[in-house]
Amino acid sequence: MERETISVTVNGRAYERAVEPRRLLSDFLREDLRLTGTHVGCEHGVCGSCTVMMDGVTARSCLTFAVMADGAEIETIEGLGSVEAMHPVQQAFWEKHGLQCGFCTPGMLMTAVELLKANPDPSVDDIRDAISGNLCRCTGYQTIVESIQYAAKLMREDGP
Amino acid sequence: MAHVGAAHTRLEDDRFLTGRGRFVDDIRLPGEAYAAFVRSPHARARIGAIATDRARAMPGVLAVLTGDDWRRDGGGETDVLWDVNSHDGTPMNIARRPIFASGEARHVGDTVALVVAEDPHTAADAAAAVEVAWEPLPSITELAASVEPDAPLVHEEFGSNVAYDWRLGDAEATEAAFAAAAHVTALSLNNNRLAPSAMEPRAAIGAYDRGSERYTLWSTTQNPHLVRQWLSRDTLRAPEHAIRVVAPDVGGGFGQKTYHYPEEASLPWAARLVGRPVRWTATRAETLAVDIHARDHVTEARMAFDEDGRIAAVEANIIANLGAYQSQFAACIPTLFCVTMFSGQYAIPALHCRVLGVYTNTTPIDAYRGAGNPEITYVIERLIENGAREMAADSVEARSRNLVPAAAMPYASATGVTYDVGDFPAVLGKTRALADLEALRAEQARLREDGMLMGIGMAAFIRSGGAGPSRLAAALGSRMGLWDVATVRVHPSGKITVLCGSHNHGQSHATTYAQIVADRFGCDMADIEIVEGDTDRIPHGLGTWASRSITVVGSALAVASDRIIDKGRRLAAHLMECAVEDIDFGSGAYSVRGTDRRMTFVEIADMAYRGADYPDGFELGLEEAAFFDPDDFNYPYGTHVATVTVDAETGAVKLTGYYSVEDMGLVINPLVVDGQRHGAAAQGIGQALLEDVRYEPDSGQLLTGSFMDYTIPRADDMPNFALDSHVTLTETNPLGVKGVGELGTAGPPAAIGNAILDALWHLGVRHMEMPFTAERVWRAIRAASA
Repeated sequence: MERETISVTVNGRAYERAVEPRRLLSDFLREDLRLTGTHVGCEHGVCGSCTVMMDGVTARSCLTFAVMADGAEIETIEGLGSVEAMHPVQQAFWEKHGLQCGFCTPGMLMTAVELLKANPDPSVDDIRDAISGNLCRCTGYQTIVESIQYAAKLMREDGP
Repeated sequence: MAHVGAAHTRLEDDRFLTGRGRFVDDIRLPGEAYAAFVRSPHARARIGAIATDRARAMPGVLAVLTGDDWRRDGGGETDVLWDVNSHDGTPMNIARRPIFASGEARHVGDTVALVVAEDPHTAADAAAAVEVAWEPLPSITELAASVEPDAPLVHEEFGSNVAYDWRLGDAEATEAAFAAAAHVTALSLNNNRLAPSAMEPRAAIGAYDRGSERYTLWSTTQNPHLVRQWLSRDTLRAPEHAIRVVAPDVGGGFGQKTYHYPEEASLPWAARLVGRPVRWTATRAETLAVDIHARDHVTEARMAFDEDGRIAAVEANIIANLGAYQSQFAACIPTLFCVTMFSGQYAIPALHCRVLGVYTNTTPIDAYRGAGNPEITYVIERLIENGAREMAADSVEARSRNLVPAAAMPYASATGVTYDVGDFPAVLGKTRALADLEALRAEQARLREDGMLMGIGMAAFIRSGGAGPSRLAAALGSRMGLWDVATVRVHPSGKITVLCGSHNHGQSHATTYAQIVADRFGCDMADIEIVEGDTDRIPHGLGTWASRSITVVGSALAVASDRIIDKGRRLAAHLMECAVEDIDFGSGAYSVRGTDRRMTFVEIADMAYRGADYPDGFELGLEEAAFFDPDDFNYPYGTHVATVTVDAETGAVKLTGYYSVEDMGLVINPLVVDGQRHGAAAQGIGQALLEDVRYEPDSGQLLTGSFMDYTIPRADDMPNFALDSHVTLTETNPLGVKGVGELGTAGPPAAIGNAILDALWHLGVRHMEMPFTAERVWRAIRAASA
């Protein structure tokens, strides 16, 4: 199949790659760039595990073709924060036990980051609404809700 | 005891939070090829000629392999691990799950052929190009109809779809109690079919090294050593020492990833044939059609009460679906792991249960978190609720009156099981207080005045956890032991590696096991490495399922740790020139009682490996393995309350509150245990309100083949949980722990069902099928008001 060359910035690093038009963004990230933190749980856009940030808004990388990301800035879990310097959302999920098996976690974190950018002080209902497109089979969501509330607090305290 | 009991944050989280987890699909091997499977599109069809030429001719296709190739090459089929005899002693009819279907495909998704190609797209295209001459046959997917005389047979050689007709209890005494009863409540109940649905789809990579003549399988399994044993003995038929199974990070299991699946055998085989590693990751649609399903009972049940509202007897006739083949533990789930808890928390003098295990043209059924306990709890708790209501009694009082009192422990239930410890009335009291039932009733009355329908429902339950006592299991039909083993290895530096037979796929073993070990040795948790999931690193083990890890492996590593401390005591006595009896161990050091002489454990570890000075007869090194086999199961239990509102116009149910009080024995880490409790309750809530695997009756097609149709709970379906606990310590293991992982799945179906009935009882609604979808509730309201 004919390949198209795309230029894409992922976690601040510029890449130029030739991809088949049918290449999914999730496969491009996982296979071509070996950024395996982005997970694929259902490959039909329901579970949200593959959620990444594309030009500042969340996107389901399993429903996005890599060629659609030509010229875009992508952020994935690998760019969010490191073990030494965690993003407040990562810190909060750790402290509040917002993960068990860890498979849905990357997508959940990206969705939480988007929510807190738009709404620095979300209510429980706001959070449940915002993450209702991200499935988690382990936690029953309560500790995730608590993690995001706590992350909001950390981010407010940290200030701009 | 600085660590056990503390809400320690998890040691395993860093990699998951930063995208550096290592799941099977994240692993890449040099030279690997991709597999795709040809699966049956029919519920039942004769497999005619399989034309592979077109697929083989496609560029990039490396191999097209069929069941004939597999069997010609000596490949076998999975074996069952539990024998359940019919009541007259007849052995059950066993249809083993094949690696490739032979002669006939027996459910949608049954595996027929395997294609290996250079890339996943080519593999998928080539699998689609394999032409199977299907001859569709009449199928049976409806459970109740499967035992009718004219039902199509899933396995014609048995002459019936019934695999076994199993019974428990005293039929005569039960019949007599019903004849003398003051009141009898009867219900027809369904227990909906579920797909466990871990977020990570199953995946596997097979590899074969010609030099060492060894296979390696990376698999999303909960029990790598068992998979190795099954590969060796049953399917791949290679020596056990020539197989390595690795289960790296696994994204949830819930029982579904326990069993030996066809791909685990066919991929390493294909890897040997093509001379390259072969990988495969299931699509969600494959997962929903191939991976085991769960529950799926239809039940006729009745409960007899005396004039004081005491339960005189209970009886059930259960038809339990096994699917098209017997998955490995399938036979014991609706029987021993279900009906042995038929007395629940109640003192019931007589009971009887009959279970027909039947084959249908559906995906095989096996244990999913809860594994029989949610099914039987639903029967008991719906009966006692409806019984109390029919007798115009308060259903909480009805439960209270029938609970086994704490003073009666240990209590031998009429099922033959003995509950060792517990205080059911205390837990009921705590539940009443936690939910503030009086306030909820007042709120319900207020809302009712405003025309709003609110309901409050309760469920009490008990399960057998911590499998298990191997000799007892063998006496009950198990073909495998249920013990487990841990090896504690102290390095010369004093750092500790613990090799465990369990597997962590969300249960937090890296943290909770380290808490146990750190307290034993008086060291930091950071000085301990917990290793799981690789048969080349860990000598043996049976894996994580049946709420067993902390009971069996936790006890094994505690015992092994204590042996090492005792061994170190002998070296310390020698080095400090005193009697062994005069050595104390605490806070990470050996000290001579009554003196200031002490040596740290780290110093002793160094000396144990240096060999410069040790007593005669002392064996150098500090490493101990302990096998642990508990004397009995443990019996965690709990009581839940659910509150709902029902929209009378649409039938939509909103779960507004959920309260849980449970007794899990000693809690190692409350943060982790609360997480397990939330997760278990959430899966029970999914069963009650949302989840239902459906087949189209005539065609046998799977209608719930994606997450659009098979709907697991979302964040906005869930309430906040209110938790409390009660602790009674079991003496069946040295830690005093009880299995917690599955416990809370039992409560929600009955608690929510009872809550909906509570909201609608005054309208005349007495029953509806599960899950309690808006349509079903709306229809029930309409039927009652017609």
